[in-house]
Amino acid sequence: MNRRHLLAATGAAAVSPFIRPAGAQTLTRATLRLKWLTQAQFAGFYVALQKGYYREAGIDLTINPGGPNLLTENLVASGADTFGLSGGTDSVFAARERNLPIVCAGVMHQQTPFVFVTRADGPIRTLADFRGKTITTWFTGANFVLLGMLAQAGLSRGDFTMQPQQVSVQPFVDRQVDVVTATRYNEFFTLMNRVGRDNLRSFVPDDHGITFPRDTVIVSEQTARDRPQMVTAFLRATIRGWREALRDGKAGVDAVMSVAPTLNRPHQEFMMEEAGKLMVAGGAARNGLFWIDRPVVQAAHDFFLRHEVIKTPLDLAAAYNSSFLEAIPLADRIA
Amino acid sequence: MSGTSAARGVFGAVLILALWEVTARGFALPAYTLPAVTQILGAVWEHRAALQAAALVTGFEAITGYAIGALAGIGMATLLVLARPLRAGVLPLLLAINSVPVVAWSPLVLLWFGVGVSSKIVMVALAVGFTIFLSALAGFDRVDRRSVDLMRSFGAGRIGIFWRLRLPAALPLIAAGLRVATVRSLIVAIVTEMLGAYGGLGWIIYQSVTLIDFVQVWAAILVASTLSLAFFGAVGALERRFIFWR
Amino acid sequence: MNATAMAALRLLGGVILAGLVWEGVVVLFGIRPHLLPRLSEILAAIAFTPGAYWAGLQRTAAETLIGFAAGTAVGIVNGLVFFRAPLLRDMLLPVFVVSQTIPVIAFGALVVMWFGNTLMAKAVIAFYLTFFPVTVNTLLGLNSVDPRQAALLRSFGATPTQILFRLQLPMALPQIFVALRLGASLSLVGAIVGEWFGDNTGIGVLLLQAMYNESVVALWAAILCAALLGTGFYALVAWAERRIVFWGAEQ
Repeated sequence: MNRRHLLAATGAAAVSPFIRPAGAQTLTRATLRLKWLTQAQFAGFYVALQKGYYREAGIDLTINPGGPNLLTENLVASGADTFGLSGGTDSVFAARERNLPIVCAGVMHQQTPFVFVTRADGPIRTLADFRGKTITTWFTGANFVLLGMLAQAGLSRGDFTMQPQQVSVQPFVDRQVDVVTATRYNEFFTLMNRVGRDNLRSFVPDDHGITFPRDTVIVSEQTARDRPQMVTAFLRATIRGWREALRDGKAGVDAVMSVAPTLNRPHQEFMMEEAGKLMVAGGAARNGLFWIDRPVVQAAHDFFLRHEVIKTPLDLAAAYNSSFLEAIPLADRIA
Repeated sequence: MSGTSAARGVFGAVLILALWEVTARGFALPAYTLPAVTQILGAVWEHRAALQAAALVTGFEAITGYAIGALAGIGMATLLVLARPLRAGVLPLLLAINSVPVVAWSPLVLLWFGVGVSSKIVMVALAVGFTIFLSALAGFDRVDRRSVDLMRSFGAGRIGIFWRLRLPAALPLIAAGLRVATVRSLIVAIVTEMLGAYGGLGWIIYQSVTLIDFVQVWAAILVASTLSLAFFGAVGALERRFIFWR
Repeated sequence: MNATAMAALRLLGGVILAGLVWEGVVVLFGIRPHLLPRLSEILAAIAFTPGAYWAGLQRTAAETLIGFAAGTAVGIVNGLVFFRAPLLRDMLLPVFVVSQTIPVIAFGALVVMWFGNTLMAKAVIAFYLTFFPVTVNTLLGLNSVDPRQAALLRSFGATPTQILFRLQLPMALPQIFVALRLGASLSLVGAIVGEWFGDNTGIGVLLLQAMYNESVVALWAAILCAALLGTGFYALVAWAERRIVFWGAEQ
């Protein structure tokens, strides 16, 4: 830690000795910590890396995957990683509330990426039918979204059983639970394969007026303050990679699978497509990829405040910084 | 003699804790790097209800798995010693299972047995079972060939030899295995909980990391460590009594 | 030479037989692939992307070996120091014991912060799990040497260093090797768990990817690799033990 802190402090530019032959531009070394294991959800970053877009932007980037028990906010705040793709608006709130010095510089998924899934032939047809049922969900944000949705249907905490969900959707497949939480791009694929798409009914938070943008690009306050050009350069290269990945999903999956060859291709192609939809939805259509949709973030913040997930109001202007994105012409940001 | 060494041990621990406290406070390290000892103790007190509940879950998993693993390990070793033909077939299979590092089984066990308590018990039983099985088998095999022949010439059967000769020879090794396995049982339970669980210390650690509460991570680890030492001490005490009795 | 060839042949036969039994049992009893896939399916998965498994195997092996070597060296030195300085032993050994009750996985983020996302970070965890048993067994082994033998050597004018290297350390070797065999599997565990803290290559990475994608075939493929590595490394240590302890006894 100390060593890395020192490194960050003394050589804020941490200039790499490598010289690009063409432009003779010095490369800055940086790392990107993903929120999870390598998969198509992150395809654009890998495309940008493999096509050299980060190098062209002056960054010698290393992509570090995430994993269970690793928190991107933590690693970025401590300086262990330069950039992070972290949980989402919810985890940025949590980090800021606990005084972790991180700033959100962009938002990848404009809509809530997860849905609550039941069986189409089951007893649950409306939110009110959740009464008395067993639900598994992630206790890292999704639980509150569900609580908010169910509150609209007049249900409160004691009216149903909510259990933490991890590892597998198998309990739902085996009919041990009535409702399971699934990201549209990942678990939903497994559910489709095991239960069949026509046998599933989804409850979408956004249909009930709750939108939780997730997959946030974060940097430390220090990086945001001292190296704004690098942050903009990173975002520009990232968006370049993503625009290509969104246009040619197969190439995006190829880029990911060259790093993690044992992944299942159909699963990754599904993920590519569904994650792509989340990226171009909402405010991104008009304002470009990674857009920080302030009213939506504010609504999410107020929602968490109302449910006492965060105790005191946060300074959202300080936590979400759009200036890095706005330094890139809009035409270059539109998917 | 043992009094002075205990005093030195306490002194050493206090020294390290003091150094820790001074480092954390002196350099004003943020909690995500290293919280101060007093901060951690404060968190243990503050979250005592949740930590106690979690410790009960983890303790239950560890002790149940430990008991199953110990019985299975000793039972299997006994069986293989008594039924030689079985040994040739079963032992290689067991060694093959054991050659896989125990953590590598945890994803599979979670998929098979679910995220609940049973997957933790299975993992602990697996880890403890093999530790004790291997020590027991080594112990049973430790007897001198000539002593076995001698007893046989006196008309002792397989079971007689086992009871009179092999078991006494194996006891110290089994006891050592039982002691080592205590700490393993808790660690394996916690590691498995961190990959997927509904409760327990590992679950608290996992949740605390995602909720960015690092002091609570350390608090849970402190409780886990204390629990391990208590379990280790309890088995050691039982063992001294038991061996004294024999 | 002939005997070795025979043994190798027998081993190969055993492995093939076990493989056939596996395949047969799954087909015969119609075991759901969710529980246990056919061996041929798993091997096909490995053959489909051999590069990934080979790279993982190499990477994990390197981490394991470095951690193991460091753990062995530090463990033996610790044992020697504790043997010579009982004060240090009494002060530090209990702390070491406590350190071993801590599940390293809880400190994933710390390990990454301190050592970065490097091969070294994984080796450090392998080291952490290895050094303790080696320390304890070195100390046990050294303590088990009959003090009268040392006294005898001393009366012949042997220096403490000579006594250490000619008598005490060789006599402690069998004990140390017990710990090394244990350390062989523990260091592999450490390397695999270390790879769960965000990495691209390694058996631990393959395990996690397979688990979170609920791909049982890929999971078994990774388990097979882990078994191969575990067995190989254990056999290596056992082989070294036979050579070194035998040589030591001859002296």
